Amino acid sequence: MRRFITVIGVLVILSLTWTAFIKPEKESKQRNETELVTDNKNPDLVQQDTDDEVAFRGLRKFWEYSGFRNATKGHLIMITVGLLFIFLAIKYDYEPLLLIPIGTGIIIGNIPFYQEGAVNLQLGIYETGSVLNYLYFGVLKGVYPPLIFLGLGAMTDFSSLLSNPRLMILGAAAQIGIFLTFLGALMLGFAPPEAGAIGIIGGADGPTAIFLSSRLANGVNILPDGETVRNLIGPIAIAAYSYMALVPVIQPPIMRLLTSKRERKIRMKPPRAVSKTEKIMFPVIGLLLTAFISPSSLPLLGMLFFGNILKESGVTKRLAETARTSMVDIVTILLGLTVGASTQADVFLTPDSLLIFILGAISFMLATAGGLLFAKVMNLFLRGENRINPLVGAAGVSAVPDSARVVQNEGLRADPTNHLLMHAMTPNVSGVIGSAVAAGILLSFLG
Amino acid sequence: MNDLLFLINTFAGIDRQATIIVIIGYMIVFLALVLLYLVFRYVMPVFFKISMYRRAAREGRHLDDSEKQVLTGEVNAAIATALYLYFDEIHDFESNVITIRKVSKSYSPWNSKLYNMRNLER
Repeated sequence: MRRFITVIGVLVILSLTWTAFIKPEKESKQRNETELVTDNKNPDLVQQDTDDEVAFRGLRKFWEYSGFRNATKGHLIMITVGLLFIFLAIKYDYEPLLLIPIGTGIIIGNIPFYQEGAVNLQLGIYETGSVLNYLYFGVLKGVYPPLIFLGLGAMTDFSSLLSNPRLMILGAAAQIGIFLTFLGALMLGFAPPEAGAIGIIGGADGPTAIFLSSRLANGVNILPDGETVRNLIGPIAIAAYSYMALVPVIQPPIMRLLTSKRERKIRMKPPRAVSKTEKIMFPVIGLLLTAFISPSSLPLLGMLFFGNILKESGVTKRLAETARTSMVDIVTILLGLTVGASTQADVFLTPDSLLIFILGAISFMLATAGGLLFAKVMNLFLRGENRINPLVGAAGVSAVPDSARVVQNEGLRADPTNHLLMHAMTPNVSGVIGSAVAAGILLSFLG
Repeated sequence: MNDLLFLINTFAGIDRQATIIVIIGYMIVFLALVLLYLVFRYVMPVFFKISMYRRAAREGRHLDDSEKQVLTGEVNAAIATALYLYFDEIHDFESNVITIRKVSKSYSPWNSKLYNMRNLER
């Protein structure tokens, strides 16, 4: 509870500060215009090239190019956010593999530098030709997310899902968060493609969120009314990853609120052993079925099941090993860093971002509640040892394996001998499939 | 259905198309996972049973109940734990000598002073 209050408190303080200084770029422009006017008043200064003046002008230019001169309140706020991410990762161990690269990326992306006029120092992530810009290409074109899915497939064991396939439906139920948030975003005035990209935060799957926002809300596509769609990749990715990292903070209160103590103590039938043939058949059948139903989700699901075939076939151990270790690590570093750096204050600190964060939180809560309530509905039709512990439904939001871990902890809290981890893994991994299918559907409707 | 759409459109101010996307989209997500469930709950067990009987018939043996028995995860875990504990108790022979033995040869040609000195002619 103390952690919850600390995190929420810090987020509220940051949000308030954010709203107070929402347009840092305006201040910066005004300041520069004033200085330009002052310069124009003294044209003789340029003509008299004495040694002192050359040195003075050099110093002045150095000052103009330095971070101290170009810093705005927006930059400082974003650097604080980056530091907060690093703090949360180290102090509370919230998804450190994501929050450390993203937090560092936020700091790197918000180091202030000279950005006036048409000057391109090739430093910032949005400046053509910069190193960060090249790395950002993987986010912009949706290259990184399928590679992450490949690694995810190569490290996921679907045997818990195969031993009790009924729980897969909980993974579908939890996707309600995506669609309700889509409606919510539309009500708040976002264009349909932007609303679709925002809604996917409810899938609690970072790569899927980046993939869909890079296709729908990329700042390039043209809407039917002739306007260009807004670039929301940064805020959406940050919101998705932040809430994924905050799973242990967000989910438990909802779980306790929507379930009784008796329900939390329900013991489930132990999972059966799964044969090797079943494990090999699953990615093949899964790929064919889901890709035929929703071909737009092929880049994600194709790679997920491909990774799993590498793992389960037993004859491509080297490839599976690379996919689940070195490759996924490299892509995570690049993805985390570039997504963090894409939160440049002038692009990120807008009222839209704040709305996206609020919608993302609601989406995440709805998804958790959707899974829990659907498990309770299923229990109305099940008897005896077939009954489902409703806590397992909360793992229907993807966030592998954090939400399953949270279910395990909550289960143990109610009954120290009741282990729900393996049961929770089923809705957890089916949630990944469900959110990728949902992304494909939104892409085919709105893309 | 039309009434539901009308209600959503009227109260939420959302256009009809978006509501249709939500309803159809959610149904498709369900459909994909329900289909997967049905395949692995009903189709695959039949497929495995048939292949098991065919293999038994090919080998000319009768498939009795003992062969069909499936070990549960709990039994597997118990066997694994028992094996782990058994192997954990097996130790290599230990000398019981715990004092640190001083290495008798504490120098080598690489650090010996004699080899580093130049042999000057006298």
